[in-house]
Amino acid sequence: MQTTDRALELTGYQRQDFSVCLGCKICASVCTVNDLSFNSNPQDILQRLFLGREIAAEEPLVRFCTGCYRCTGACPWNIRIPEVVRALRETLSTESPFEKAFKASLQIWGRVYEPYVLMRAVPFLLKGGYIKHMSRWMEYMGFHLPHKVKRT
Amino acid sequence: MDYGYYPGCSLTGSAHKLDKGIRKVFEKQGHTLKEIPDWNCCGAFEYGNRNELADFSKKNLEKAKGLFSEIIAPCPACYKNLKEADEKREFAVTHPMDLFDDAFFSSMKQARDLKGQVFTPYYGCILLRPKETSIKNDTVMEEAITRFGGEVAGETVKDKCCGGNQVFINKFVTEKLSLLVLEKSQGTIVVFCPLCHMAMKTFSGPRKVVYFTDLLLYIMGETSAL
Ligand code: SF4
Ligand code: SF4
Repeated sequence: MQTTDRALELTGYQRQDFSVCLGCKICASVCTVNDLSFNSNPQDILQRLFLGREIAAEEPLVRFCTGCYRCTGACPWNIRIPEVVRALRETLSTESPFEKAFKASLQIWGRVYEPYVLMRAVPFLLKGGYIKHMSRWMEYMGFHLPHKVKRT
Repeated sequence: MDYGYYPGCSLTGSAHKLDKGIRKVFEKQGHTLKEIPDWNCCGAFEYGNRNELADFSKKNLEKAKGLFSEIIAPCPACYKNLKEADEKREFAVTHPMDLFDDAFFSSMKQARDLKGQVFTPYYGCILLRPKETSIKNDTVMEEAITRFGGEVAGETVKDKCCGGNQVFINKFVTEKLSLLVLEKSQGTIVVFCPLCHMAMKTFSGPRKVVYFTDLLLYIMGETSAL
């Protein structure tokens, strides 16, 4: 199965659901990705899904969509484009090491245990220039034991 | 009144201040928050599979069954996931913002006012969109600020995206978007979402960023400084 079809399946949308799209591009005019100086046109992504064409993981929208739902809020059909993008990311396997650590934490504790997630993602955090923010984060992050440990 | 309470992961860690704030505000108003026993993570925005994501929240609702009829979830992502998973509307899944109404503010014990202070109420995305799960009153923070004598600024950026969702994926996205909000806002930034809080805090430099609950507790005289 094509990755785009698989992505659609994950969202619960059917291809023909996008046939209502008017091509009005209101979604594109409000899309947050445009504030990053990338051209973003969510409608184009929907059209390609509708036509069964492939979508590359490198597309700015696939990479940088923030899940802000501005497009959905403005779309006459309330099409949930960020959920389509999220599904595309999953089928295209574009998870960052941080997202992998997030999911691993859920597997172990059923919750996000932040110290664990941060520890697991240390190489990524070092490389990505996050360490300089640590002192800021320490101002409001509290250390705590994982809930399952605390309870015993 | 007794409410079921779903704090969610961030409120047990990086947003523990919001957790304490909500508990305190509710306690002051004579309400009790009782945690859903052994709740699990709601999955935030991390799962592309709609059903997989909904199952996390369905499990939480299962755990709340028979114990609560109304559930309070302060984190906007948790709130949205929980509300969407409650397909048969078996619970009232409520965001605390929807309880902050006129009656609430008039019953609040006021120890202080906000005279001479400027605030940018910043809602971000998920409190306001999509409309099926948005809060009822999108000017609730403005109303509180002016009611207690403060000045409101930053109207044009209140519903802009902080990019918090991308902070551990593509940091420059969050940096750029948060700075856009910070540049067009004035005074103290008032947020509700833990992710907005983190994004704003990370890039705000000397600017003050507080939770809305911090502001309420300050007015009530529960904290001495913002
Ligand atoms: S949710 Fe994604 S696609 Fe939609 S406006 Fe926001 S950034 Fe653009
Ligand atoms: S706003 Fe909706 S209908 Fe208009 S182009 Fe975008 S997806 Fe299509």
